[in-house]
Amino acid sequence: MTPEMRQKLAREPFAEKIRKVAQLIRLAKTFPRRQQAAPARPKGHGN
Amino acid sequence: MAVNLPSYDLPLAEVLRAANDLVTARLIENWALGGALAAIYYVEPFTTYDADIFFIPADKGLTAGIPAIYAYLQARGWQVEREHLLVKGFPVQFLAANGLTEEAVREAAQIDYEGVSARVFRAEHIVAIAASVGRAKDKARIEQLLQQADLDKTKLENILQRHNLKLTML
Repeated sequence: MTPEMRQKLAREPFAEKIRKVAQLIRLAKTFPRRQQAAPARPKGHGN
Repeated sequence: MAVNLPSYDLPLAEVLRAANDLVTARLIENWALGGALAAIYYVEPFTTYDADIFFIPADKGLTAGIPAIYAYLQARGWQVEREHLLVKGFPVQFLAANGLTEEAVREAAQIDYEGVSARVFRAEHIVAIAASVGRAKDKARIEQLLQQADLDKTKLENILQRHNLKLTML
């Protein structure tokens, strides 16, 4: 996103920004970030 | 593929109304919205999971009247979950103000949010508070405010100087 677009979002009415925060929370709850996977074992280790 | 997201509204008007009710009930002297939601008043929206209400206690004792505040809100259907009070599942923290945050409450901007009279920290105080806390997310908040908010640089420098704070970005 360009700085101009971000600035435009910043200047939206507070109630509109709060609606967008609610959407972001809803998205985060629907699509939670995956936990970072544990590093894979080196090949041939233990087998 | 269309995705049906569960509906979710952020009950901020209810939070602000409850804070006003606490003043009417004389459980707190004054209050203002701080934290991430106060920053969002000045910058682009971002994800946050709670609301921070800073208050000047009416009870100047050690507990700052927090037990009475909790009892008052619980009697109105709010739930307690660790350090948060929940309204419609949305976590709210009531934080007793002192020093810099007390000044931020006293000098907060008066706003109207969906018909509710409310108070929100001024951008200069949000920057100063973030500078005093100094975590990575506070530094990011400072940068965002410097880029997107119409800061009064003289006022900010005055606050920083009086509270012995430094901002390397200025």
